[in-house]
Amino acid sequence: MCGIVGFFAKQGDAQAEIGRTILGMLRALGCRGPDSAGVALFGAPDDNRFIVRVKLGESGGVESKAAQLAVHFPGVHGFSATAAYARFAVNGSTDLTRLSAAIEALDKDFEVVSIGHRLEIVKQTGSPDNLENTYGISRLKGTHALGHTRLSTESRVDLSHSQPFWSHGFPDLAIVHNGHITNYHQLRRRYEQRGVRFYTENDSEVVAIYLAGQLQEGGSLKDALERMLRDLDGSYSCLVATGGEFGFVKDPFALKPLVMTETDQFVAVATEEIAIRSALPGKYSVREAQVKEVRVWQR
Amino acid sequence: MAEIACAGRAAREINAEIRRAIAAGEREVVVKDPGARHNIAVGILDPVTIRILGSVGYFCGGLIDGPRIEIDESAGWGLAESMMNGEIVVHGSVGNGAAAAIRGGTVVIHGDAAARLGVSIKGGTVVVAGNCGYMAGFMGQKGRIVVCGDAGDAFADSMYETVCFVGREIAGLGTDAVVEQPSADEITWLDFTLAQHLPGSERCGADFKKVVAGRKLWNFDKREWKVWQEAL
Repeated sequence: MCGIVGFFAKQGDAQAEIGRTILGMLRALGCRGPDSAGVALFGAPDDNRFIVRVKLGESGGVESKAAQLAVHFPGVHGFSATAAYARFAVNGSTDLTRLSAAIEALDKDFEVVSIGHRLEIVKQTGSPDNLENTYGISRLKGTHALGHTRLSTESRVDLSHSQPFWSHGFPDLAIVHNGHITNYHQLRRRYEQRGVRFYTENDSEVVAIYLAGQLQEGGSLKDALERMLRDLDGSYSCLVATGGEFGFVKDPFALKPLVMTETDQFVAVATEEIAIRSALPGKYSVREAQVKEVRVWQR
Repeated sequence: MAEIACAGRAAREINAEIRRAIAAGEREVVVKDPGARHNIAVGILDPVTIRILGSVGYFCGGLIDGPRIEIDESAGWGLAESMMNGEIVVHGSVGNGAAAAIRGGTVVIHGDAAARLGVSIKGGTVVVAGNCGYMAGFMGQKGRIVVCGDAGDAFADSMYETVCFVGREIAGLGTDAVVEQPSADEITWLDFTLAQHLPGSERCGADFKKVVAGRKLWNFDKREWKVWQEAL
């Protein structure tokens, strides 16, 4: 199953209560994905720095690893460690590929989970309530957010295999996916031949890698999602967000649910309407996305 | 009239209360704040009216035989699935597989329908005021599907004796689907059906295209191998 949710504030500064909203939506879909829960939150923009979030280990007992990381990167700003993650900021002109490689070379458990001017990914095994209790995601404000509750079908249950996925090396790009990419192995082989590293055996990871590749070639996000309909087989409802854009795509057989609503203030998209209704009071209409539908919003 | 509030309650409790109200002799039940919950009013077998003030989730009104269910806003996947008789009216839009495998009764959708509307329909009537999505009518065996707006791709694929009517454009016909002119009787039926279920609609039965099975897939004939290659 899996549940995916997304919220996009169309107006205002980066002070929308995206953490609270996305948590409310995720809680309603907890039953669709009891294995893990995660969010991708887009806060206030600041092009002068990147926020780096690093997985130190799968769970607890990682204080010494946090200290090890802090010692190796003394120039970073605002270093903090909470549960399984370290978080810090680096200069906005940093070479992200080199930085990630340097961090991940320190310890086999280290994985850079997200880097962006605005993006922060927080995910772990367990329920949305666990995620809130550990990281207090409801406090976070910003402009837009994605969320995912996972029911694993083909790959292991741990933090790295949870969603949202960041496309390693490409700042501020996050995806959540519900479904199966059936030509995953073929695509993965092709990317690996080109030197792309996969961090997990989760087929959803290839969606993030695919979209980053498309965006690197210079196309728009809408073009990339439309090409995805041609290049990725299987069942998928996907939400994708960058620093300033938010969109979705539904597969060519409409095999997975996805509903949306749009008002003057916001766009909300979710696997089930119950997620939208339980987090966002007010009068609006909700509809199912049609087959092959691609939508992108910008701010 | 019985009023049932949904806030803070599970679908099982809400459904039990609907059934208790009907058993106590109520002919009209109003369900408030459904919040898009799943499985509301499934398997109701009495000729009562159930008004749902809001949106419902999956499988609303499945397996019913007799009631009239009116939904103020939208409905999720599997609306009215396998219903035997009765009427379901949705004022918003519906998710995938609405009216799948119904055997009788009427489903009226004032908004749009998503994919697989009325697949494997075995009787009854489906009326959509807006558009319908991908693969509507797939493998329909009997019954009628009326779409006042546009129909999506793979429309009326691999059907038996279901008859579909489309008021505007068809994005693409499914395998073995054939467009015909409706007969005078069918135009009269369309005018009557539109007047009954979509009063105020200015659509006219004569504007509709009729889509039926070309019957090429009903019996295997090796001389028609190409048709089968495309279908399978």
